Order: sequence, then C-alpha cells, then structure tokens
Amino acid sequence: MLELCNLGYSYPGSSRPALQGIDLQLRAGECLGLLGSNGAGKTTLLSLLSGVLALQQGELRWSDHPSLGLVPQQLAFYAGLKVRENLELFADLYRLRGSERRQRLQQCIDICALEDKLARRSEQLSGGEQRRLNFAIGLLQPAELYLFDEATVGVDAGSRQQLLGAVEQLTAEGKTVIYTSHYLEEVERVAQRILLLHEGQVRLDLDKRQLLGDDHGLLLEWPGPPPAGLSELLARLQLTAEALPKGLRIAALNGQQLLAITEFVAAQDGLPNLLRFGRPSLEQLYLRLNGGRL
Amino acid sequence: MRLWALLRKEVLLLLRDPHALAVLFLMPTLFLVLMAGAMSSYMQDKPPALRLIIEAAQADDASQFFRDALQAQLPDSQLLDESSERLARVRLPEGFAEHLLDSPHQGPSLSFPAQFDKLSRQRLHSAVSIALAQTRLLAYLEDSGVVEAELSRAQRLQLVQQRTQSRIDEQEQLASGDLSGRANATQLSVPAWLIFGMFFVVLPMAGGFQREQQSGTLLRLRCLGLNLGTLVLSKLLPYLAINLLQFVLLLAIGVYGLPLLGLPALSLPGSAAAYLLLALSVALATCSLGLLLAALARSNEQALLLGGGINIILAALGGVMVPKSVMPAAMAQLAEISPMSWALDAFLTLLVGHGSLADIAPYCARLLLFAALFGIGGLLLFTRRVRHTQWTTHY
Repeated sequence: MLELCNLGYSYPGSSRPALQGIDLQLRAGECLGLLGSNGAGKTTLLSLLSGVLALQQGELRWSDHPSLGLVPQQLAFYAGLKVRENLELFADLYRLRGSERRQRLQQCIDICALEDKLARRSEQLSGGEQRRLNFAIGLLQPAELYLFDEATVGVDAGSRQQLLGAVEQLTAEGKTVIYTSHYLEEVERVAQRILLLHEGQVRLDLDKRQLLGDDHGLLLEWPGPPPAGLSELLARLQLTAEALPKGLRIAALNGQQLLAITEFVAAQDGLPNLLRFGRPSLEQLYLRLNGGRL
Repeated sequence: MRLWALLRKEVLLLLRDPHALAVLFLMPTLFLVLMAGAMSSYMQDKPPALRLIIEAAQADDASQFFRDALQAQLPDSQLLDESSERLARVRLPEGFAEHLLDSPHQGPSLSFPAQFDKLSRQRLHSAVSIALAQTRLLAYLEDSGVVEAELSRAQRLQLVQQRTQSRIDEQEQLASGDLSGRANATQLSVPAWLIFGMFFVVLPMAGGFQREQQSGTLLRLRCLGLNLGTLVLSKLLPYLAINLLQFVLLLAIGVYGLPLLGLPALSLPGSAAAYLLLALSVALATCSLGLLLAALARSNEQALLLGGGINIILAALGGVMVPKSVMPAAMAQLAEISPMSWALDAFLTLLVGHGSLADIAPYCARLLLFAALFGIGGLLLFTRRVRHTQWTTHY
C-alpha cells in the first residue's frame, strides 16, 4: 500500500537528523503501532506521510493515489461551530455527497457517540466529547491510510473502547492505520505490528505476537535495592533476569522456579512493590527496549 | 463546493462572535453618534445662539438703537438686561449717546466668562463692531439732518442697514481633499468612524486565522490538499461583504438615525457609483491589511494588539480622531501617509465638496495601490505561513 525507502529528514539548524534511513512497507489492512519517546521522530514521520513536511531524502511510494484520514493530537475543528456543522463542513471539504455522505456521517456519529451532541456548540463539549468529535472528523474521510496521533487522550474508558473498536474495524475493512499513543495498552490492542523509533532511526520493527511472545514471565519491583541473596537464587535456578529501572524481569520460567522465587520473596522483611506473573505487556517491553523511558 | 463550505463557516463563526460583532458594528455606531453629538456645537452649519447681558448707563435712544442693531446681527441670540448667570456682558460707557461722533471713539467694553469659547467671542466682537458702526452712522445721519424726525426706531434701523449692507455673491466652488474645516459634525463623524470601523475587520480576520492554526484545523485543511486560492478567498470574501454591509448600515444611521437625535442628517450627494467605488477601495485596503496581519501575528492576542494598535495610529494620524483642518501643517502633512486619511478625503470630497467619481478617483487609486501592495505582501506571507504549518505535539 505504501513503501518508505530510506526516508530522512533534518530540521534547519538541528545538528542531528530527526529521521534517518527509514525503510518500511505498509500493507493494506495492517495497523502499525508507532512508538518512541519524545523527540524519537514520530511526529516528523507523520508529517512526512501527511505531506505537511516536504521530502528531503528518500522516497514515499504509494501503490494508489494517496488518500489520508487524519486524527491529530490537537482538537482540529472549529470550536464556534456546532457538532453537526463541523461534521457537515468536513463532509463538504472531503467532497462527500449523496448516500455515501449520509452513511458516513451517521456511522461516525454512532461510533463516536455524538448523536445527542449534534446541536451543541463544539466549545461547550467536555474534553472527552471534543476528542470524540476530533476522532469522528478524521474517521469521516474516505481514505486508504489513517493516521491517529494520541487520538484518545481524555476520553472516558467506555468511549475509548468504542473508538478503538472503530480503529479495528478500519483494518478489518482493509484500511491501513498508523496508530501512535502513549497509552501502550491501546497500541497493544489495535496494532498488529510495532515500530519503535529511537533518535530518528528504527530500533525495532516486529510483528506484535513475535515481539510479545507466548511465554509467561515474572516482573518484580522493590521500593529500594533488590534483597540480598536474590542473584544467587536466580543463578541456582538457572534463570536470567533483565534489570529494569526499579526491579527485574524474568522472560520465561516454570512452576518450580516461580514457587522458589515467591517463597524467597515471602521470606523477606518487606513486601515488593510489584510481583506479576504472566505474558509481558507492551508497556513492559517498551520500557525495557527504550531504556525505561516512555 | 469547498469554497462555499468555507465561506459559510467563516460567516457562522463571525455571527457567533459577539466581540467581533461589537467591534465591527456597535463600536463605530457608538463613536459615530457620540462624536457627532460632541462636535455638534463647533461643527455646524448654523452658529449656536448666544445669551448675553447688555448694560447701558442711560436708557437713551442711541443705546436702544445699538441694542436693536446688535439683535439684528445675532438674530437667534438672547439679549438680557440682567441675569444671575455668568454670561458675556456688553457694557455701554457713560455718555454713550453724546460721544458717538467723537474721534477717537470709546466703544462698549466686553467681558466674557472663562467658559465662553473663542469662536463665540469673535462672533460677538464682530456683531458689536457692526452694531456700533451702524449706531454711529445713524448719529452722523441725524446730525447731518438726513433722517426725518418722525421715523420710528425700526425704520431708522432699516435705513441704516440699507446704507451699510451690500449684496455679496457667494459661489460654491467644487473642491476635493481635506474639507473637514467646512464639514458639519455629521459630515465629519459619519465617514470618519465608518472608515475606522471598516478597518477593524482586520481583528476577526487575523484572530480567526490564528485560532485555525492553533487548533490544528489548518493542518487538516493542508492535508486535504486544499487549493491555497480557495483558502485565501474564503478569508477575504466574507470580510469584504462585512465591510460593504458596514458601509451601508453606518451611512443609513447618518441619514436616518442622527436626525432622530437632533443632529443634522447626512445627505449623500453624488453618484451611487462613486460611493460604490469608494466602499470597494476601502474594503480591499482593509482586507489586504487583514491578510498581512493574519500572516504576521503569531497568536490571537498578538493579532488583537497589532491590529488594534495599527488602526488607532492610522486613525489618529489620518484625521479620524482630530480633523485635519485643526492639525498644524506638519501633522496634516504626516496624515497623508494614512490610508484612513485618503478614504476620509474621498468621502469629504463627495459629501462636502459635492465631487464626482472622477474627483475621488485619485484617493481610490491610492487605496487600491495600498490594497495591491499589502495584498501581495500578505499573500506571500500567508502562503509561507500555511506551508510552514507543522504537525504539533503536546504530549
């Protein structure tokens, strides 16, 4: 659907490139979770894809005419207009007509639960409702590629599930989605593929299942330094642990090993801050991969 | 379809912005009415009536004749014998009648309360001089035996008036330019505050664009591949229409509203085409300035400060706040740099100078040149600004 070849970008006056050597293929029906700490290059990549920034280096190859749906972080609508007026305005700007227009408008109103808000001025909506309107306007556009940038900030839990469902629906319909959010559980839910940017380069580009794996691991965190004897215990159990900023993570372990560790923990004076056994979450992996930075 | 949608959006946003509506319609109306009222005593077609006291040492015929002659010079004014109010006073000296033919002659003395304005002082001084000259002429004619004894006081006054008055033909020459010295309060206030109000479209124009950029809607519009010409037209056309509406409404207030408040009605001599050309020239100048300001300002607050500041300076310079006729020569010359001054001169050429479309054409040409220069500058900067709209992140 879209191929990025050796994409690079440097902002004027900046000593290091914001993006460098990005090669990426996006397939129809795929949702790419775009991760990276602040300054990693996510915004620059989205700006290049949306045409907001002109290409400096590399190529963007679209398989078809580029068409883009956009849900930016900002509340990109007219606060002085009513909800219906905003939706109608953007329907006009997207050149929607006839039954397609009516159908898409109703679909977006339903998905974003805006039916009873249509007559209200957009500036009078709550923060979460405004977010839903912003989402609806992006969703209204018929496109092949949708960019979601922190699209659900401030949305209540119920509405968020509905919006994430809409993103999943898009990929089910064969649309391509790039989804970036600091809510990693959202990315974990909607994305099939994770791309981690670090200092303008791709640090990791993996299928989600491949990344998270099927093994159950253990996450341990203490209020202070790890208790004495833990390293020896892990060595005796032949386990390898990865150090995290506040504790450690053991990628895979069996029942015996889990029992030995929990007995060790129970024998300590203080309780740990966290003891979690199961499949690692994307957040845990992300923290590990990104040096503990969100 | 896209242009129509954007135009509709601009109009809806403007109609729902009470501050913008107040600045565009309420503020110039209030200024227009208040300033026309405030200036009405100075800048009027007919001088105001005076109230004054005449004090005569003796109640003789000559003093009485002087009083009648003075009343004839100040027909609407009240000449009182005494009053407890602080009024201007004309005191006839002792032996006024006996010394009328003396040379040199001691005339009446005048005293004015401090609040008596300069113009009225000059008027009273002239009226007293004429009445005194007529009184002395009568004394001379009586002394020469020319006046028949049986003539009444009124007949004597008529005789003297016939002997002292000549027909002076006045011809009105068509003129153009700064005619503020000849304009009455209505003729000056209505166009001045109308032009001032029209220039204030720069505020909602520039402010709206800042909000569009800050909210990210401009980013959406950019990503739609919206034609820049469509975007610029969607900004310009509604405000051009607003300017024309202001023009019609405020002139209507001058024509129909001010007389209801006891102020002179505005009459609109000249052709409709001349007014249309003037309205379009001012509207294009204001909208191009608005476009430039929209591109230059970096926030709504900045647009407000810049736009308001520029307008007030242009108005102060251009004779909107203080008529150019009362400015010193250097200031009046400086006023020529303000487009508000060009617009005001064109208006006064029509209203006071009874000029034609050809007479206002030079002023309109200046306004259109201003519109072209600022429009091109605004367009270039606006294009640059739109192209530099970035995907911004807050989290």
